[in-house]
Amino acid sequence: MTTEQFIHQLLDTAKKRGLSEAEIYLSSGDSFRAMSQQGALSNYTVNSTRGLSLRGIYNGKMGYAATEAFDEEAIDMLISGVMESALLTEDDSFQQIYQGDEHYPEMDCYNPELDKVEEKRKIDFLLSLEPMAKAKDPRIVQLSYNVISTSSGQVRIVNTHGLDLEAKDNIAYAYASAVAKEGERVATGMGMTISRDFDKLDAEKVVNDATEEALFMLAAEPVPSGTYRCIIENRCMPDLLSVFSGVFSAENAQKGLSLLAGKEGEMIASSAVTLMDDPLMQDGLTSQPFDAEGVACFPKAVIENGTFTTLLHNLKTARKAGCKSTGNAAKSGFAGTVRVSPTNFYFRPGEKSLAELMDDMQDGLVITEVSGLHAGANAISGDFSLIAQGYTVKGGKKEKAVDRITVAGNFFQLLKNIRAVGGDLLFPGSSTGSPSVDIGEIAVAGK
Amino acid sequence: MLSEQLAAKVLAEAVKTGGDFAEIFLEDRLNHSLSMLSGKVETVNSLRLHGAGVRVFSGTQGIYVYTNDTTEAGLIACARRAAGAILDGKGAQVHPLSWQDTKNIHPILLRPDQVKSARKVEKMRAAQAALKQYDEIAQAAVSYSDSLQRVWIANTEGLFTGDTRVYTRFFVNAIASNGTENQTGSASPGAMQGFEIFDHRIDPEACAHKAARQAITMLHAPLCPAGVMPVVIDNGFGGVIFHEACGHSLEATSVAPGNSEFCGKLGRKVASDKVTAIDDGTLPNEWGSLNIDDEGTPTTRLVLIENGILKNYMIDKLNARKMGMPITGSSRRQGYMYAPTSRMRNTYIAAGNDDEAEIISSMGDGLYAKAMGGGSVEPSTGKFNFSVQEGYLVKDGKIAHPVRGASLIGRGSEILPLIDRVGKDMQMAQGMCGSQSGSVPTNVGQPMIRVSSMTVGGR
Repeated sequence: MTTEQFIHQLLDTAKKRGLSEAEIYLSSGDSFRAMSQQGALSNYTVNSTRGLSLRGIYNGKMGYAATEAFDEEAIDMLISGVMESALLTEDDSFQQIYQGDEHYPEMDCYNPELDKVEEKRKIDFLLSLEPMAKAKDPRIVQLSYNVISTSSGQVRIVNTHGLDLEAKDNIAYAYASAVAKEGERVATGMGMTISRDFDKLDAEKVVNDATEEALFMLAAEPVPSGTYRCIIENRCMPDLLSVFSGVFSAENAQKGLSLLAGKEGEMIASSAVTLMDDPLMQDGLTSQPFDAEGVACFPKAVIENGTFTTLLHNLKTARKAGCKSTGNAAKSGFAGTVRVSPTNFYFRPGEKSLAELMDDMQDGLVITEVSGLHAGANAISGDFSLIAQGYTVKGGKKEKAVDRITVAGNFFQLLKNIRAVGGDLLFPGSSTGSPSVDIGEIAVAGK
Repeated sequence: MLSEQLAAKVLAEAVKTGGDFAEIFLEDRLNHSLSMLSGKVETVNSLRLHGAGVRVFSGTQGIYVYTNDTTEAGLIACARRAAGAILDGKGAQVHPLSWQDTKNIHPILLRPDQVKSARKVEKMRAAQAALKQYDEIAQAAVSYSDSLQRVWIANTEGLFTGDTRVYTRFFVNAIASNGTENQTGSASPGAMQGFEIFDHRIDPEACAHKAARQAITMLHAPLCPAGVMPVVIDNGFGGVIFHEACGHSLEATSVAPGNSEFCGKLGRKVASDKVTAIDDGTLPNEWGSLNIDDEGTPTTRLVLIENGILKNYMIDKLNARKMGMPITGSSRRQGYMYAPTSRMRNTYIAAGNDDEAEIISSMGDGLYAKAMGGGSVEPSTGKFNFSVQEGYLVKDGKIAHPVRGASLIGRGSEILPLIDRVGKDMQMAQGMCGSQSGSVPTNVGQPMIRVSSMTVGGR
């Protein structure tokens, strides 16, 4: 059975078996990933996959089921699964399959040239990194992780209202983690490059970023415990924002899982803060013309000059709140249920460079990396306590490398304490971005 | 289902360009999950995963290609793509396949796909009802999941085998709130077992009480002070500290490329005499157990550290070639989308001889971490970070009061020698462990242990 035949047979059978509305979400993709260790190719993975989920209204309720097998057995399993799911679900909110919008934005997230790049070129790029890194300094002993990846994906939504949408994208990236050694001391540093144009992947940048950080961190020591003036760099702030992005979801708010519920219109951040969700951004990693429910996407400010303007909505949360969907319906993979998620999510850049922020701060800490986010951050309370590294700043200048400290605080308090947002907006290989941010003060546990 | 004839064809195709070993892994998996929020069934999901992966080696190079298209044409195409990446291999001897039955050491009494969903909902309601007794619990999420995974594995060494794995797990998450602050508590037991898990292993109400008590205790707890102090870590999920800080560094994925702080330390003292640590896939029906690993090798019990001396690493086929050491039956993968590699199974610090009451009464001032949260580690440096889900400040050997927001930070190799007490009551707890070959079920475990000095992050 071809995919096209499968789709039509599935929707026809769904109607016959009593689903009043039904929708297919089909995602397919091809990807290539290679990894090298100690100068040789150690891992090489190629795949082509497809997955399909069916959701439908049965007895007035929405049910879900999904499959990777496209056979007769799958058709029965999907429809029975949707019916059982709809019957057991006690969600009494009104649910719908979307009729579609009048207009959808034109997007350019797919570069056909990228899919034509030969695998040998990708491997050559990958293998060029370690010799370059080692040539930088004798203390660079190896790249511990060294990866190149290209992928292309396609999403299609077809429903019984006649909606039939399709979007396609692709991307290439490479990253490396350099290991520096001096005596008993070991330190690592990361470098990354990402583009939809293979010729724009920048090996020099990956190697420079990774080796410079690893070498700098060799001398790292904890600082004494205490409260410090603090800037979080643009390569680190997105990690923190990403962990707490769930608080802006209307779904979480309606379930009582967000402390921002009902706070629209209030000042929740310092006036220096504007937080954007922009699905139409050029070269964004989550740029898309429509969301997982087929609603047309558009850019919006979630916080504007400190004022909380809107939660992010899908159709269901919007209906409950009496507003319109913000086009933020999302699925984690083809099989997920429809949730709410930001797209390209970032603090709007201000004017100052990192050097100027440091000059304003004079003495304090700059944090360049936090780890342990899935354990040390509570997305509900906003509390975080994370391993961090970075460097001290004295008289406005970068001073000594710092590691093995924990920084602790509360995300909501941090938003209010922000003194300045820099101009150096960065998306460090993710769809969450930020400039460097002066967050005022932070509690540090060190030596 | 993978036929012998098709497997043989695919393997032959995979080594055509000079690969010296090839393997095919085919998986068909049915996942069923239900979730309930504040007493209402919120989602009911069924998912059928289906696909296959072909792996080819040439020396220490490993190529992996996978697809959902498991027709003959699809699998042959997959094998060709894998073969296409081998440039100058020495070639393989392809042995004829002979089916090898898998000995089942994990009896399943009631397959979850044969249990009506309504019965699964009943178990969730029982937990939900128990949570209702707590006024301060503002929100409760209860969920249930089961999985029936069938795998077939064949390789050019003539191995042709398969297995059926059944997993059942139950989750309770309670959120305590006072209007301005929220704290969470949780319980999430599971096993390689069918629905009979509810007869003796999982008590939904007990899970609810545990989660609620934890959340409420933390809601009333002041913030933990930061500093360096003795730390007592309780049994069960406390074992996550060994899992993250040491276990990952003993996997061949870290050791073979030289990224582990335990490289070259076999036979050397890496921990205090009191520490014996084991990774065991043979424990009947345990969450991290197996019959065969994902390369088709029967699972094993492996002593990692014995009385402080490093004894073994966990090694898969590809890394065995790189390290020149034998495989240990602990090669695992989330599913067909991942090439398998060395992973932990049920990993625990074995019971010792110290009395639990004495461990605390003799610690002076410090932190008692009764329940751990998750954590992470950077294998090349061994740096780790764990959140303490439920912690208590100890003053002069007596538990003073609960504290929240604590985290434990340090380095694996620095902490192991500082373990100065190991209690008698070893318990295990369930988790999903994420690494190169995806997310796999693993047990962590330990008795109560004490670390004489550790950095505690707090505020």
